[in-house]
Parts: sequence; C-alpha cells; structure tokens
Amino acid sequence: MISRRPEEFGDEELVTSAQQGERQAFEVLVERYKQRAYHIAFGFTRDREDAKDLSQEAFLHAFSHLKKFDRRSGFYTWFYRILVNLCLDFRRRKGRVSWESLDEKTEKGNGLEKIPNPGPSPDQAAMSGEISTRISAALATLPPKQRAVFLLKNNQGLSIGEIAAIMKTAEGTIKAHLHRAVMALRERLTELA
Amino acid sequence: MAERQELTGACKNYEQDLVLYYYQDCSRAEQQQVEAHLEGCPSCRVFLEELKSLLPATVKTDEPTPAFWQNYSREMRGKLDKRESRGWAGAMLSLFRPWPVPAVATAMILAIAVTLTFTNGRWTTETNPSPELVEMASNADFFESIDFLDSMDLLESVEGHDAQKSETASHPL
Repeated sequence: MISRRPEEFGDEELVTSAQQGERQAFEVLVERYKQRAYHIAFGFTRDREDAKDLSQEAFLHAFSHLKKFDRRSGFYTWFYRILVNLCLDFRRRKGRVSWESLDEKTEKGNGLEKIPNPGPSPDQAAMSGEISTRISAALATLPPKQRAVFLLKNNQGLSIGEIAAIMKTAEGTIKAHLHRAVMALRERLTELA
Repeated sequence: MAERQELTGACKNYEQDLVLYYYQDCSRAEQQQVEAHLEGCPSCRVFLEELKSLLPATVKTDEPTPAFWQNYSREMRGKLDKRESRGWAGAMLSLFRPWPVPAVATAMILAIAVTLTFTNGRWTTETNPSPELVEMASNADFFESIDFLDSMDLLESVEGHDAQKSETASHPL
C-alpha cells in the first residue's frame, strides 16, 4: 500500500485529521494558505508585521474553533471569513491611524527590522512613493465592507461567488459594493491626479 | 499641482456591468451584451480603458523573502504549542475565573429558594416507611390504651394520697 504524505491530502481530509487532534494536519493547512492569508492581511494593513500578526491570529482562531467548523463551506472560505473579520476589526481598532503613516512605516523600514532583506516588489519599484501613498489614501476612504470586497476581488482575484460566501452576503450586494468601491477610487484618484 | 482630470462618464446602467466585465466575472450572455454596447458607445469604451489603467496600479503587493516564510512557520508552530497547552490548563483555570463564583452562588440560592417554596419550609423528604414502623403504627391504639391506664393509675394514686392527707388533717395527733 502506498502511503501519501500529508501535503498530498485535500483540505477536507486534513480538517478531519486536525479535528481528531492531529496537529501536523493543521500545520499542513497553515503552509497551504499562509501566503494567501498574509497577502489578504497586507492589503488591509499595508504593513508587514501587522499582516503577519493578523494572518497568524486567524490561523490560531481557526485552530481553536476547528471543532465547530461544520463543513457547510470549504475550509478556505471559512478561514477567509475569520481572516476578513479580523482585518475589518483591525481597521476599526486602527481607524485613527492614517494610511499615509502606515505607508511611511512600511517604506521607511520601521517594523521591518526583524525581517532580513525584504526587497521591494516589482510594483513598488515601478510606482513612485507619492503615487503609492495617494492610492493608499484613496483606499482608506472606502467604507470597510467596500474595501474588503475590493481587495478580495482586485488583489486576490476571488470570484463574486467566493466573496459572497466569505462575507455571508448576497452576490448582488457584493457586486454593488465592488461597483461603488471602483467608482469611489476612480473619482478619488482623479481628484488627486 | 497637476490639473484636475475630467472624468469620463459611462452609461449609468452599464457601469456595474463594465466593472464586472473588466474583472471577467460575468456570464457569457452578459459579456456579449457588454461587448455589443461597447461597439456603439465611445464613452463606455473610454471608461473601460480608464479601469484598465487605474485598477492594476492599486494593487500593492509584498513579496517577502523565503527567510520570512520560514520564520512565519516557526512562529506559527510556537503559537500553536502555546494555544494547545493553554487548552487543558485553560479549561481547569476557567473554573476559578471570577464569573463561575457568582454563577454557582446564584444557582445555589435559586435551588434553596425553589426547595423552600415547594416543601413549605419542611426539609424532610417523603420516603417509604420501613415495615417495623408500619407495624408499630398499627399498634398505636394498644400503646395509647396503656398510656391511658397508666394515667388512671396515677390519678388514683394521687387521689388516694390526697384522701389520706385529709384524714390525717381531721384526726390530729
């Protein structure tokens, strides 16, 4: 009989094992989703350390509540819901912190000291700091749900159906949020141009 | 400062469809409908071009190094260890957290109140009497008659004593 490695198991099998107390199975899920989770959190926080903390907090929350996961949705939908809620909560807690200051924090390296050689992304390199700051400021003006829908669509490339499942909202409402977010950003960025 | 750019307005009833068309998140029929409209509508074509130039610029990605991801996984394992050990200890400690104390006290007070209400203040419980007690109860009449006879004897002895006293009194020495 050929035994499979844990990495080869599907989400459902891993969730079953993790629910039965196999820590290793949950760690495979972490490895599978950590990058996507981090990038979603980074879209909200625009800060490396905050994004790491938020995404790790989402995994810990999922780990603690795994027995309550009823499988009515996929694991990643359930997990993204936890993550997006934490991100929205983060925005509420940090509501008074301006996005400009967060950008400065990221770009000047404050909070990045613990991470060796972060290196700018191709987008960051191509874009001047000023434009980046303006875009961040424009994104910051969006209401939290519009911002969440916009980031999940624009940055993560999730479908309207997936976003609706994650946010437990009707697809029509998600489309309306996305439309409003795009129109607001377009207007705001044109104002700043 | 640069001059403010003029916004090109798309047809209002096509705006949302154009956004979804840009993201390629619409059905085949909707896609064909938008494309047919775009052919005859220059303002919607300009709007779509604006979206194509604007929206990719809003994506601020971050590509951490492999060292970051190794550190991420190591930290995650450490946090999971802590959470796991906290699981058992937390369950035990939760019994001594501030909230169970008043909760248990309230439950006890309620239990006493309910017991007093339904027993009219009597704390004795109704249980089936033992056979010996039943037999004793059936002989209660017998015991009562003995008590009565005892009382009669006592009365007679008291009366006899009183009579003796009065005789002594009428015949002084």
